[in-house]
Amino acid sequence: MNCRQIFYQFLNFAMIVSSALMIWKGLMVVTGSESPIVVVLSGSMEPAFHRGDLLFLTNYEQEPIRAGEIVVFKVEGRDIPIVHRVMKVHEKEDGAVKFLTKGDNNNVDDRGLYANGQAWLNRKDVVGRARGYVPFIGIVTIIMNDYPKFKYAVLAGLGVFVLIHRE
Amino acid sequence: MSVSSAMEENPPKVNKWDGNALKNALDDAVKDVLLSHFSYIESHKLLDGRLMISSVAVGFSIFALVWDWLYPFPQSRSVMLVCVVVYFVMMGVLTWYTTYLERGIFCTALNKDVAGIDPDQIWNASSSLKRFDNKYHLRLSQRTGGSGRPKEARTVLTVENFFDETGKLLYASVAKEVLRLHSDLDSKKN
Repeated sequence: MNCRQIFYQFLNFAMIVSSALMIWKGLMVVTGSESPIVVVLSGSMEPAFHRGDLLFLTNYEQEPIRAGEIVVFKVEGRDIPIVHRVMKVHEKEDGAVKFLTKGDNNNVDDRGLYANGQAWLNRKDVVGRARGYVPFIGIVTIIMNDYPKFKYAVLAGLGVFVLIHRE
Repeated sequence: MSVSSAMEENPPKVNKWDGNALKNALDDAVKDVLLSHFSYIESHKLLDGRLMISSVAVGFSIFALVWDWLYPFPQSRSVMLVCVVVYFVMMGVLTWYTTYLERGIFCTALNKDVAGIDPDQIWNASSSLKRFDNKYHLRLSQRTGGSGRPKEARTVLTVENFFDETGKLLYASVAKEVLRLHSDLDSKKN
């Protein structure tokens, strides 16, 4: 194989990765959420959501947050998003909103999870609102995160296959 | 006679049940015959076009990745939108390019005029092999550069006649077919 062929094989690999990346970015743009698909990591929302469920989120600014809705939010300073239900909402006329959340399967509200001294969440903490879900599929992501060697093995295998295989 | 090429000395061995490998081996052999038996020069224009389109697409995707990393999501929205749309448009262009312009051509060889006066003769070799099929369709076309109408010659090769039981390519048989097509085209009047 000459150098053009080799370059082409790398481009092929890059195009597959780029397609996945562009679909993800496209979803981000369309839903308005920085993380349009998330995996439920804990059982704090049972029986509604179980560990390993895949959630589809949207984050449209115009839609107000109401009590009873399931939101995914990030606490300032921590990067793991949490998916819980909105319990109380305080809204000002200009649209500024403060709300309190609680997991369905928890005994207490989330004030213990918020940052030190924080009693309410703001709009900017919200990653998105849950719109739909697919059960179980996210278990693969959980396994790959718990056993990183497995993740690297799968990725390496795929990478090698794409680089070597001639169309 | 011509010098024998590296492939003629040492023909490749492939998995005879893998259609993809068979097609690639036959394509390589046809290309090798065309380039080593005649003093033709290979033209990479077609492949370069494909590389160019793919590189532009990947470039946009890398740009999107970097921009989003530097200016996290909500601010990068419009740039993201542009990059995503351009990327998928490029994918469309690539598909169009492969389907209509390339059409299975895997080798373009130029017969350059020594005096440099007449336009080059362009030889295009294209092939197709359907999945699970054993008929390799080879099409050789000759066109005099610029405006000449292409002359074509086609043949269908049954793959089992060109590989032995171990999967080794029978270079001589391939060469015979290619040379036959070539002289057919050369002698055919327009």
